Amino acid sequence: MPPPPPILSIRGLQIHYRTDRGVIRAVDGASFDVPAGAVVGLVGESGCGKTTAARAITGVIPANASVVGGEVVYDGRDLAGLSHRKMAPLRWREIAFIPQSAMNSLDPVYRVGAQVLEVLVDRGGYDRKRADARAAELFQMVGLDVKRLRDYPHQFSGGMRQRAAIALALALEPRLIIADEPVTALDVVVQRQVLDLFKALQRRLGLSVILVTHDISVVAYVCDQVVVMYAGKIVESGPVEAVLTRPSHPYTMGLYNAFPDLQRSGGTLVPIDGSPPDLIDPPKSCRFQARCPFQQPRCDAPPDLEPVGDDHYAACWRADDAAELRRLAESPATWERSPA
Amino acid sequence: MAVTSEPRIAVRRPPRLRRMLDGLRRLIALPAHDPFALAGLVIYTVFVLVAILADVLATHDPLEILFLESGRLARSLPAGADHFLGTTNLGRDIYSQLVHGTRGALIVGLAAAIAVVTVGTVVGLVSGYLGGMVDTVLMRLADIALGIPFLPFVIVLAAFLEPSMWNVVLGIALLLWPNTGRVIRSQVLSLRERSFVEAAKVTGSGTLRILFVHIAPNILPLSLLYGSIAVGWAILTEAAINFLGFGASDAVSWGYMLQDAYASQALSRGHYFWFVPPGLCIVVVVVAGFLISRGYEEVFFPKLRE
Amino acid sequence: MSYFANRFLHMLFVLWAVATILFFMFRLMPGTPLAAFIDSTLTEDQQLALIVQFGLDRPLYEQYWKFLVNLVQGDLGRSFFFKKPVTEVVLSVFPNTILLTVTSLVIAYVFGIVVGAFLAWKRGTWIEGVGIPIVLTTRAAPEFWLGMVLLAIFSFNLHWFPSGGANATGSYWDSDWQRIFSADYAHHLALPALTLAVYLQGLPLLLMRSNMLEVMQEEFVTMARMKGLSEWTIVMRHAARNAMLPVVTAFALGIGFSVGGNVVVETVFSWPGLGRLLVNAVASSDYPLAQGAFLLITVVLVTMNFIADMLYAVLDPRVSHGSHE
Repeated sequence: MPPPPPILSIRGLQIHYRTDRGVIRAVDGASFDVPAGAVVGLVGESGCGKTTAARAITGVIPANASVVGGEVVYDGRDLAGLSHRKMAPLRWREIAFIPQSAMNSLDPVYRVGAQVLEVLVDRGGYDRKRADARAAELFQMVGLDVKRLRDYPHQFSGGMRQRAAIALALALEPRLIIADEPVTALDVVVQRQVLDLFKALQRRLGLSVILVTHDISVVAYVCDQVVVMYAGKIVESGPVEAVLTRPSHPYTMGLYNAFPDLQRSGGTLVPIDGSPPDLIDPPKSCRFQARCPFQQPRCDAPPDLEPVGDDHYAACWRADDAAELRRLAESPATWERSPA
Repeated sequence: MAVTSEPRIAVRRPPRLRRMLDGLRRLIALPAHDPFALAGLVIYTVFVLVAILADVLATHDPLEILFLESGRLARSLPAGADHFLGTTNLGRDIYSQLVHGTRGALIVGLAAAIAVVTVGTVVGLVSGYLGGMVDTVLMRLADIALGIPFLPFVIVLAAFLEPSMWNVVLGIALLLWPNTGRVIRSQVLSLRERSFVEAAKVTGSGTLRILFVHIAPNILPLSLLYGSIAVGWAILTEAAINFLGFGASDAVSWGYMLQDAYASQALSRGHYFWFVPPGLCIVVVVVAGFLISRGYEEVFFPKLRE
Repeated sequence: MSYFANRFLHMLFVLWAVATILFFMFRLMPGTPLAAFIDSTLTEDQQLALIVQFGLDRPLYEQYWKFLVNLVQGDLGRSFFFKKPVTEVVLSVFPNTILLTVTSLVIAYVFGIVVGAFLAWKRGTWIEGVGIPIVLTTRAAPEFWLGMVLLAIFSFNLHWFPSGGANATGSYWDSDWQRIFSADYAHHLALPALTLAVYLQGLPLLLMRSNMLEVMQEEFVTMARMKGLSEWTIVMRHAARNAMLPVVTAFALGIGFSVGGNVVVETVFSWPGLGRLLVNAVASSDYPLAQGAFLLITVVLVTMNFIADMLYAVLDPRVSHGSHE
């Protein structure tokens, strides 16, 4: 029996920002699928385009940004081409968003409960009584004291706010959740708690999730699939287990070394030297070439995403030597820059 | 082959000079980006020139009572070739009064701006950097200054002291520094913790030195900004004081012209050429100040980007 | 609760400080000989009585204490010109000033808030490009000059409005209440209030506009869009409510500021208010009256500053509801 179709399918997505200095090609041809009921991690360093791509799915992008190419297919419809009005019925009812910092994403002058009710009544068609009940239910689901509905956003702690953000996102029983660095602003202990809650809810409700993060250990903890982005392009994607145990792109190998693991302690931190290329005039070569310890002359031509395993893709000319490169990548010496 | 290594002479430009040059460059570059600020600067320049060349540009002595050839008083003449804006009901040339009025306005504006900036900046620096008791006392003084109604205070000052434009400057210096002072203070508070101040302390720089050599250049743009706003206030206040009759009566200022016009029933006579131009001049000069200060505000504190 | 107490004590402190400054100003500045507090037209006995009452024969600190005691009891001396207690004279004109101030502020703020929000909405269009300079011009124009121009056009030229005063000269009214709430009063109030409103609207307008622009950039507005809330809901219910806070505070502050600042407009329109009273009192060396008028203006200013502080605390949940875990 063929696998069920993915709930979201992104093909060749291109998003540009217009700035004073020029046009930033923030997302330059990204393609990946989100299987129904799966948690897909979108990981990369800041500026790689992951947040831009993820937010674009909701249809709310900054005024100076525009989707210049590609498609975002949800339920058979291309969201990228939809007008603001046509997109409206999907918002929050089908596709919801969990922001990085719930402090700024809640209106400070209204009580949290009022803001939950607003979504339920205005967007969900609930009447007041059912909305009250549902709001209480949502808070219980995320482990928040129902009395807290009467509080204002600033009265919540960081962890509580993220829980409230999750509750809000689930209000209208959406099918797809976009979570943008949902735990980055929290301290490590609280991160764990919120991620546990999130994982439990996701399993229970069968939600499909795109989880944007720069922290690969979060991906390891929560995600089923992972998509690694670098400089506006996807460099590797596949099941979490495969990508993390058998990374086939040098960047992924470096990422893994650069973060402490949630599940096992120890291991040396080895940051990747250098910084990403300028996206106004990106290099015509493989974009990681300048920082890659394994680069070769053939990397002057940009590689495509090629299969390296079961549902596992990587964009590297040396993907066949991945096992050897992985071994080298484990030692810090590989990543140290040679003196100029 | 003997290799002689040349001694490496490190040419270090003093950091504060560099910072000041940078600031100056930004100051000068502004008009290129902001047409409104440019317009403001042009207007200011024009008025300054008029003030300097007042004696040349005026056609008559502003206070001289003029007579026609027939020996009659040249009263309430309409605008014409001899008198560009006509004459007052006492036979004085309005245009010449207007030209000479620029002097008073600009001098007051400049003096008040300097006063407010100086007091506000010094208070802000001292209060922010020293903190503690000094800060508390200064901020209480600021609260008191803010609790005194501005115009009434200047009126009382003008009434008790010799009527002169310096009363306005004094009133502004005494009462309008708190806003500048508070903003500078909060800037200093944030700068105080920065590394270059720590470095200066470690190398043994005294408090005064740190304040005036390291911190001051960083807050100067803010001071200038508030100074440019103070100019407009000063001109408006001075006009008001003169209009109320508390100004020096021997100097011709725009406020004085307006008071003269009002008292001489120019309004009921529809003598628009008398009382409209002085007000317009005030408007133009003050607007120019606004445009310039808004322009600089965008440069130094860009808040709202496209 | 302690925030309220804190600000209230602070207000009392400022009032006391300003009263003290006033005391020294009116007694020690050049041009105010101590004897100027005694009206020379009074009989010697009356003069002596006044000297004793104000303690003018006593050392300065005793005078100061007497001054404070009298002040708290509401005794501000006797006006030379009106031959009546200063308190009575000052309070009789106070309603005129308050009505002028509040009327013009309400007009100015309603206009400013609406147009400010509108200009924020029209950011980047020619409307903004033309609107902002116009607003700046209104802020740059001396209010009394505006008053003069409006007076010349609408009163002397078109005869639509009277040229001065609060009521028609020679009119008779059964009570103060009737006098104030009459069409005649409103007719007289119109032009001065309009003049002030033109001058005052710039502040709320620019403030509202700038606040709206800032608030519309906030994350919670983006989130509201993602939730699919209607643009109207976002702007009215969320953005405007956030943007209004400082404007409401500014309104309270504006009252305090205008009471003193209306001086010139009151003079142009011969509006019998506190400011004009002060000017006349100073000009005629009626020191007790000048002091009293100044004091009342100050009390209003400081009180409104305090009310503005309170307003902000009440309206901003971040202050009124402190954080508790």
